[in-house]
Amino acid sequence: MIDPEFLTAEERALSERFIAQGYLIAPVENRASLDRIRAHVAAAACEMLGITPMPKDGGKDGSSGDGIGALLDGIHGHVDPERLNALRLSVIGAMAAAPWFRAAYFSLARQALSAVIGNELAMQRRVNLSIQLPGDAESLLPVHADVWSGDSPFEAVLWVPLVDCYGTKAMYLLPPVPNAHLSDRLHQFAERGAEDIYRSIEPDIEWMTVPYGHYLLFNQNLAHGNRVNREPETRWSMNCRFKGVFTPYADKKLGEFFEPITLRAMSRLGMDYRLPGGFDE
Amino acid sequence: MNRTGRHGYRGYIGSRPVLGNRTPQHVQNLVIRDYAQRHGLTYKLSATEYAMPACYMMLHQVLEELPMLEGMIAFSLFMLPRRAERRLAVYRRVLDAGASLHTALEGFALHGEGDIDRLERIWLVQSQQLPTLQIP
Repeated sequence: MIDPEFLTAEERALSERFIAQGYLIAPVENRASLDRIRAHVAAAACEMLGITPMPKDGGKDGSSGDGIGALLDGIHGHVDPERLNALRLSVIGAMAAAPWFRAAYFSLARQALSAVIGNELAMQRRVNLSIQLPGDAESLLPVHADVWSGDSPFEAVLWVPLVDCYGTKAMYLLPPVPNAHLSDRLHQFAERGAEDIYRSIEPDIEWMTVPYGHYLLFNQNLAHGNRVNREPETRWSMNCRFKGVFTPYADKKLGEFFEPITLRAMSRLGMDYRLPGGFDE
Repeated sequence: MNRTGRHGYRGYIGSRPVLGNRTPQHVQNLVIRDYAQRHGLTYKLSATEYAMPACYMMLHQVLEELPMLEGMIAFSLFMLPRRAERRLAVYRRVLDAGASLHTALEGFALHGEGDIDRLERIWLVQSQQLPTLQIP
């Protein structure tokens, strides 16, 4: 399926790993952009919660246990579950209001996205943010695949944590082989809940350990979700969908949900081209 | 929160066309939010029904959650199962849970037995107009 004559060795390796595992975890390709994104998110959170002054990042090693990372990890000391959604919406508003934000987000995994999806991409218009407080059962995403809810099977999700994510502070993914088995028997759960599905796949799921400074790029056709965060720190993660701009769309349409970001010259020229007219039969 | 400790109305939107028309999910949510606001109901983030034809897994999940809720607000009456027995079972579960079912687009509400007949009459007439609502 992957023609070795046309892909570089690196592209081939990434593609084969993505297909086999259903995901890639790797260091971000633009660390300065990630740090800028995190500082912006933290500033918005501090403003909303009235935390002054905002801590500074002192660590050069990229660990989240310092400065801004520690603030985000410990945000449950400043906000309760009742105010959590207001905080989330406020920070998402600040993310959407920054004109540089989406380009910075894309730069975190530009080469990987190009290798796995293509170099003419559509990007989700709003980058999402998840904040999962320790022990909070209200912010859960039960097991699902985005494609079940109207996403195109041609989309991948770029998931980027703003803190170290491990154990139940992270998300889980069902690998391709057990996912195929789940797909075959999903209809058997028609009258049962997501918790029943989770219990049936629990032995097979893989928890995604993603330290700050890394991204997770995953195939959203695979079942995934999160559980109650039993770690002592709050999870902050962003997610955004990407697809080939000319691949089929499902319920999430171009314009209302996606926007072309890397149309190339010949595609622009081709879309503008009209055959000469005025001939008579 | 009401006297029983139950709180809010869960939204229920879909990723399949309704009556042959597609409504973007965020627009479905806007319609539900507007309905909730106009009727003084507390809206809780919507569950999105799956894209697979004849799949009602998310509806089932919302019904399971009803004992903790005051009710649910579906985007449209015509998102409910096409099979009449399944629809009636949905109405029954809502009422047995002491909850209410609202359909935001049409502005209908199911509060008691008397409302079932009204909803079903509308459904049946509509299904005469639109064969896609009928069971093949």
